[in-house]
Amino acid sequence: MKKTVDVSIPLGPVHPCWKEPVRLKCETAGERVLRAEVELGYMKKGIERIMRGRPWQEVMFLAERVCGICSVVHNMVFIEAMEDISAIAVPPRAAYLRVIVNELDRMASHILANFSYCYTIEHETLAMYLLNTRETVLDNLERITGSRINTAYMIPGGVRFDLLPEDAAAMLADLAKVEDEMRRYTGIFETGPLIALRSKGIGVMSREEAIRAHTVGPTARASGVVCDLRLRHPTYRELGFEQVTRTEGDNFARVMVRFQEVFQSIDLIRKCVDTLPEGPIRGGGLCKAGETSYSGEAPRGELTYSVKTDEYGRVLDIAIRTPSIMNIEACAHSMIVDAASIADVTSTFISSDPCIACNER
Amino acid sequence: MTGYLYEKDLRQMKFTILTSTRHDEAVRAIAGRLGISDAKLRMVLIRRFDMSLLENLESRWQMGQEHADNDSDPAAKDLGCELFTRFVPLVETETMRSICDETKAMIGDGSSRDEAIARGKARVREAVLS
Repeated sequence: MKKTVDVSIPLGPVHPCWKEPVRLKCETAGERVLRAEVELGYMKKGIERIMRGRPWQEVMFLAERVCGICSVVHNMVFIEAMEDISAIAVPPRAAYLRVIVNELDRMASHILANFSYCYTIEHETLAMYLLNTRETVLDNLERITGSRINTAYMIPGGVRFDLLPEDAAAMLADLAKVEDEMRRYTGIFETGPLIALRSKGIGVMSREEAIRAHTVGPTARASGVVCDLRLRHPTYRELGFEQVTRTEGDNFARVMVRFQEVFQSIDLIRKCVDTLPEGPIRGGGLCKAGETSYSGEAPRGELTYSVKTDEYGRVLDIAIRTPSIMNIEACAHSMIVDAASIADVTSTFISSDPCIACNER
Repeated sequence: MTGYLYEKDLRQMKFTILTSTRHDEAVRAIAGRLGISDAKLRMVLIRRFDMSLLENLESRWQMGQEHADNDSDPAAKDLGCELFTRFVPLVETETMRSICDETKAMIGDGSSRDEAIARGKARVREAVLS
């Protein structure tokens, strides 16, 4: 970076507001941020290389270890990519169960992202409330899959465990509680004057900028981009899914999109439980040779697995494009640039829900 | 003399990003479009782009193919005016504007279109490699 400015301010790699190590170098003129640059590589896993040459049974477990926050969707997209290659059909009951688990994971991820934002703008009370509610969501994930984070719930042609009626009833009761709490917290966030000062009109990204950087997920939807891949997913279409969109493109909009999507996830889970088809949870099928590029909607946006397999279902080549790759870049080069104060850099960065683990796959 | 770990040379890590399967395809496609060698383009990318922009190169190139220069005139589209300034920012906006204006002026003055575009592309190449 050329030194044409007053001060070059490095944020990170170890920073109280960052959940994971990343270095953000900001060039400032007075309080104004002129440019920002991102340095990665503090936790590179090389997981794509580890996956190559391994059978899908091993890659399945590695896939969900790309990210500890949205592990379910990594499992889901990889398995659906394998099903796409091998033309394996999923029983309707299993497809609905996948949606339930995926939406629970999305809720946990969104609540954590909003916790991070509230924590960053020093609203610790709301942050801790949110973290407490997230525990209830994770308890339900554990109830269905047996695990809170790395669930390995989905397998080609179905899922591993059925949803028992008593578990479904307990989950619905918990979701009612979560919904009540989240309504209260959303109200606190929406009407808080100090929150508005730190969030409204800060870190604005226009729709054009969002499209240019291929921004995805809630970050793009807060700038008015229609980009939710659930609109194309057959099970979600059956459930009558509609995308949440806002047009302000600022920190406030990004957090509010996530709050609204939590309610949407609760509604989707309720619909799934109400209309859960009877039948088996596992179909048959063998993983075969082929090549595909399959995308799914992760909590942070479009997640793409490009997979090439041989006749035994071994992964010959794999490339994972995670949503944070696009969102972090858009944040550093569109949202932060021209920020009026260096104090807004951390909150803007966190509002884009950056996942360094995903980026450093 | 020892230096801070985070001030280390990032070239090797940037090169690793650029040589992954999808990024390699994107680099080859961009180099083909610009008419320069893959190695030279990699060198330019490593020098000019930060790690995050390099990670996002493939997505930006893909979006550029879909959205860049759709409303521009044919000469600007051939030169990749928006593509190489806004989607894959390899050329300064001012420089690209002057190249584009010059190419259009050449066409307007009666030069052959192919010749003017070839000249414009050569100037874009020059700007990328400078």
